[in-house]
Amino acid sequence: MTDDRPRVDITKISDELTRRELLRKAATGAIVLVYGGVGARSAVAGVPRFRHKELKETLRILQWSHFVPAFDRWFDNTYVKVWGRKNDTDVIVDHISQAELSARVAAEAAAQSGHDMVATLAPLPQYEDQVIDHKEIVQTVSKKRGKMKPVSHRSTYNPKTKKYFGFADNYAPDPINYRTDFWGEVGLKPTTWDNVLKAAPRLRSMGHPIGIGMSNEIDSNMALMSLMMCFGGFIQTSKHKVALNSKGTRRALTFARELFRRGMSNEIFAWTASSNNVGMTSGRLSLAMNAISITRTAEGQNPDLAKRISLLPIPKGPNGRLGLEHVMHTYMIWKFARNKKGAVKFLADLELTYIGAFENSRFYNFPSFPTTVTNIERRLERDPVALPKGKYKVLKTISDKYTYNVGYPGFTNAAIGEIFDTYLIPQMFAEVARGDKTPADAARDYHRRFETIYAKWRRRGKI
Amino acid sequence: MEAATAARPRRRRRAFLEERRFLAPVLIAPACLFIAVLIAGPLLLAVYLSFSDATAGSLTGDWVGFDNYLNAWDNPVFRKALWNTVLFTVASQVIVLIAAGLLAHALIRPFRGKWILRFLILLPWAAPIPLGAVAWLWIYDSLFSVVNWTLVHDILPGGGELLPYKIVNAITPWTIEPFDPPQWLGDPTLALGAVISVHAWRVIPFATVIFLAGLASIPKEVDDAAKVDGATGLKKFWYVTLPLQLPIATVALLFGIVFTAADMTVVYILTRGGPFNSTQMLTTWSYQTGINAGSLGEGAAISLYLLPVLAAVAILMLRFARRSEVS
Amino acid sequence: MASTSLREKLGSYLVVGPFAIVLAFPFYWMLWTAFKTDGDLYNVENIPFSFTQGSPTSRNFTFLFTDTQYLDWLENTAFVGAIVVVITLVFSLPAGYALARLSGGWGQSVGVGIFLTYLVPPTLLFLPLSRVISELGLQDKLTSLILVYPSFTVPFSTWLLMGFFKTIPRELEDAARVDGASRLTTLLRVVFPISLPGILTVVIFSFSLVVNEFVYSLTFISTSSEKTISTGVFTELIRGDVFFWQGLMAATLIPSIPLALLYNVFLNRFIAGFTGGAFR
Repeated sequence: MTDDRPRVDITKISDELTRRELLRKAATGAIVLVYGGVGARSAVAGVPRFRHKELKETLRILQWSHFVPAFDRWFDNTYVKVWGRKNDTDVIVDHISQAELSARVAAEAAAQSGHDMVATLAPLPQYEDQVIDHKEIVQTVSKKRGKMKPVSHRSTYNPKTKKYFGFADNYAPDPINYRTDFWGEVGLKPTTWDNVLKAAPRLRSMGHPIGIGMSNEIDSNMALMSLMMCFGGFIQTSKHKVALNSKGTRRALTFARELFRRGMSNEIFAWTASSNNVGMTSGRLSLAMNAISITRTAEGQNPDLAKRISLLPIPKGPNGRLGLEHVMHTYMIWKFARNKKGAVKFLADLELTYIGAFENSRFYNFPSFPTTVTNIERRLERDPVALPKGKYKVLKTISDKYTYNVGYPGFTNAAIGEIFDTYLIPQMFAEVARGDKTPADAARDYHRRFETIYAKWRRRGKI
Repeated sequence: MEAATAARPRRRRRAFLEERRFLAPVLIAPACLFIAVLIAGPLLLAVYLSFSDATAGSLTGDWVGFDNYLNAWDNPVFRKALWNTVLFTVASQVIVLIAAGLLAHALIRPFRGKWILRFLILLPWAAPIPLGAVAWLWIYDSLFSVVNWTLVHDILPGGGELLPYKIVNAITPWTIEPFDPPQWLGDPTLALGAVISVHAWRVIPFATVIFLAGLASIPKEVDDAAKVDGATGLKKFWYVTLPLQLPIATVALLFGIVFTAADMTVVYILTRGGPFNSTQMLTTWSYQTGINAGSLGEGAAISLYLLPVLAAVAILMLRFARRSEVS
Repeated sequence: MASTSLREKLGSYLVVGPFAIVLAFPFYWMLWTAFKTDGDLYNVENIPFSFTQGSPTSRNFTFLFTDTQYLDWLENTAFVGAIVVVITLVFSLPAGYALARLSGGWGQSVGVGIFLTYLVPPTLLFLPLSRVISELGLQDKLTSLILVYPSFTVPFSTWLLMGFFKTIPRELEDAARVDGASRLTTLLRVVFPISLPGILTVVIFSFSLVVNEFVYSLTFISTSSEKTISTGVFTELIRGDVFFWQGLMAATLIPSIPLALLYNVFLNRFIAGFTGGAFR
C-alpha cells in the first residue's frame, strides 16, 4: 500500500507519552494520599465526636439557622450543653437552611433514620404518620404553665385523629413595618386597608411603593392569606370544608389588584423571602409585612433608618383585623427516633424556661405558652436597641389579639399544608393582579383545585 | 519457525483475552455492576412509588395504577413544565453548540493572551452551580439588579453620555422604562430568558472543553494529510474536522441536554418555578409536588415522564455517535 | 509548528473576546460585591462598580474562615472529588474502550443501558437512596457521597471516553497489533496515551460534577463539619429571610478561581502534548 501519509512510529509515541502519563498518575496519587490522610478517618469512622465518658444518652436535633446568629450560638453552645449535663445527655444540634428543610425531612422519613427531632418553620401535617403523638409534652407544660395558645394548638393538632403531630414551642407575630417619614408626608397611617390603598399612589410616585409580595415564598403566603381574612375570605370553614369561593375572597382579590395597580411595582412577582427585607432596609419600600427580622437588620446596618421604621398590627379590613403568625416553629419527634424520652423532656424543659430563648432571639420567638416568659411587656419595652424606644411593645398586642393560625377558623391540616407549601394563594393573587384572571374566575378555579386537594387528604383519613 | 512454535502456548493463554467476546464484557462489567447495584434498586423503587399513593417521605403506599400519571397530565402546570423542559433545553443547547463550536476553533490556535481568555471562559463551569445560581439571583434581583443598573445608567466614563437602554429601545421592539426596569425574574417571559441564559452560561465552558479536546485528539497526521490533499478552510472543516468531531460533539450535546433537562438547581434557586409556575420544569414541578406538597407518588410519576423522552433522544444520538467510526 | 496568520489571530480575538467578557462578567460583579460593606451595597443610589461608605472590606472573606466551617467544607469537597475521580477512571476507562472497539450488538444495548441510568434525575433517586445509605450506616459520612457520586460520573465518563476512543483511527491500533502486540498491550501502551486529552477531560469533568452536586450531599449529610461547599454555604449564609449577599459572593469566588485555574492548566497540558514530539 503506497501512500504519502507519514507513518506513525508506535514505540516513540508510547515512550514519550507514557512518561507524561506516569507523571500525571503520580500527581493524582499524591493528591489522593494527602487528602486520604486528611479525610479517610472521618470518611469511614464518621465525625470524631468527642463523647463525654460520663454522658449516657445522645439527642440529635436538626433545626434552621436562625436569622439572629447569636441565637444559634446561645442555643448550641450554652443552652443544650447545660441541659445535657443536667440530663446526662450529649445533645448534638445540626443546622440547615430553610430552603433545604423539606428535602432533608423527606429524606429522613424515607430513610427511617436521622435525627431524633426536626424543627421546621411551619408545621408539616403531612408527616403525621411518621411522628409520635406530642401530647405528652403539651400536657407536661400545661400542668405547670396553663393552657397553650389557641394559635399554636390549632396549628399542631389534628382533631380527626386526636393527635398532636408536632410541638410548636414558639411562633413569630407578623406586624406591619412602615416608614413613618413617608407616611407622615402623605398624612395617613396604615391602620386600615383603605388607608393603605389611599396612600399607595402618592407613595409610589415618591419612589417608595408598597411591598406585599405575590411570589412563591413564605412572606407572600402569610401577607396574602391575612389580607384575605381581613376581607372575609377563608380557605376552609371550621368544619374543614373548602370555603374559598366567597364574596370575601373576591373582595380581597379585587382590593389586591387595585393596590398593585396603584401602589406597587412589578418586582413583587419575583420576590424571594429576603426581598421585602432588602426593600425596606435599603430605604425603598414604604410598607412591608414581615416579622421583626427587618427592623433587627436595620438596627445593625442603618440605625438612622431603623428610627424611621415603625410597627403596627395588620390593617383593618371589612372583616376586622385578622393576622397570621409569620412563623410557627414546630418540632417533630420521629417515630424511629432513638431517644424519644429525651426528646420529649428536652422540649418540655425548653418551653418551661423559655425566657432564655425569648431574649436571645431578640423577641423573634414568642412562646406558645405565654406564661413561661414573665413580664413580656416590660421586656419588650426595655429593649435597649429599639429605636425609638418601646417600639416592640406592640408585638404583645399583635400576639394576643390579632394572630391566628393558618387555616383559621379550622385547624392546620395536611390540605392546608399542601396549599401553603405549593404557594397556591400567592399564585391566585398574582394572576388576578396581572389581569390574567378576573377575581370571580380565580376564586372559582382555585376553589375547585382546593377541593381536589381536600378530597385527596380526606381519602387518606387525615381530615 | 521455532520462535513461532514456542510462542504458541503463550498465545493460547493470551487468546482468552484476545477474544473480543471475552475482553469486552470483562472491561464493561465493573462499570455495569456498580451502576446496577446503586441505581437499579432505587430506580425500581421510584417506579413503584409512581404507581402508588405514597406520601410524605414514606416509601410505601397503596397501588393506584396509572392514576398518578394521568392526573399529572390533567394539570395545566404539568403541561407547562413539560413544554418548558423542552424549551429550556433546546434553546440553551443551541446557544451552547454555536458558542462552543466557535470558541473551540478559535482557541485551538495559539495567540497572545489565550491563557487568560481561556481562564475567563472556564469560570462559569468552575463555580459550583448552587452558588453560581445564587449569584445570578443577585444579578437579576428585583431591586439591585446590576443588569438593570447598567441599562439605565451612563456607562461612558467622562463627559459623554451612553445610556444602553436608549439603544435597546431604539433597535429592538422592546421598551425599557428607566424608572420601572425589567423584572428579570418576575415577568413570565423574561424569567424564561433568565433561566435559559443561566443554563447556557454554565454549559458553554463544558462544551467548549469537550470540543477542544476532540479537536486536539485529531492526530496531527490527519491534519497534515488533509493539507497535503489540498483541503483547507471550509473544505477541511466540512470533510475532515466535522466528521472527526462528530462522535464527541454528539456526546457533548447529549450531556448538555441531560444537564439542562434533568437539572433542578438553576430553576429552583432563581425562580422556584415562578412567577406563578411559568418557569416550572419537570424536575422542579416533581420536587414541588412530591416533597413540598407531600404527594410522593405523584412527584415520582412526574419525574418519570422525563425518562422516556430523554431516553429516546439519548438512544438516537448514541446510535449515531457509535456508528461514526473513524477510518 | 506553522505560525498562525494575522487574519486567523484577529479572528480568534474577535470570537473569544466577547465570549470571555460575557461569561466572566458575573465574576467581575461578584468581586466588587464581595468587598462591599452593608451600607455600600444596600443603597440604590450607589454605583455597583465603585466603593464608598467604608468599602472595600475584607470582612466578608475572613468571616467565612473564622465564623463558619468553610475550610472544612472546602477540604471535604476536594477530598470527595479526588477519590471519586480515581474511582471513575478505574471503571470508565476499560468500559469506554470496550464500547468503542470491542462489543457487538449486545454491547450496544448494555452501553445504552448504562447511559439511561444517568437520565434519572437525583431529585427522584435521593429518597430511595437515602434509605440505602441509612441501611449501610453511612449517614452523615463522606463515604456515602464517595459511594454514590460515581453513579453519575461513570456513565458520563464512559461515554465521553468512548467518543474519544472513536476519534483515534483504527490504523494506529492495527499497526501495533501487526507489530505483534496483544490487545491488552495495545490498549495500555498505544490507545490510552493517545487518548490523554480524553482522560484529562474526564478528570476535569468528574471533579466538576462532584463539586456541583447538591441534592445528595444535602440529604445524606447534615453534620456541619462534614458538609460540602454548596450545602454548608447555604446553611450558614442564608438564614431564614436574610441573605448575606457579600458572603455568598465571596464563598462562590473562593473555590471558582482556583478551580478554573486548575482546569486551565490541565487543558494546557494536553493540548501542548500534541504540538510536538512523537508525531514528527
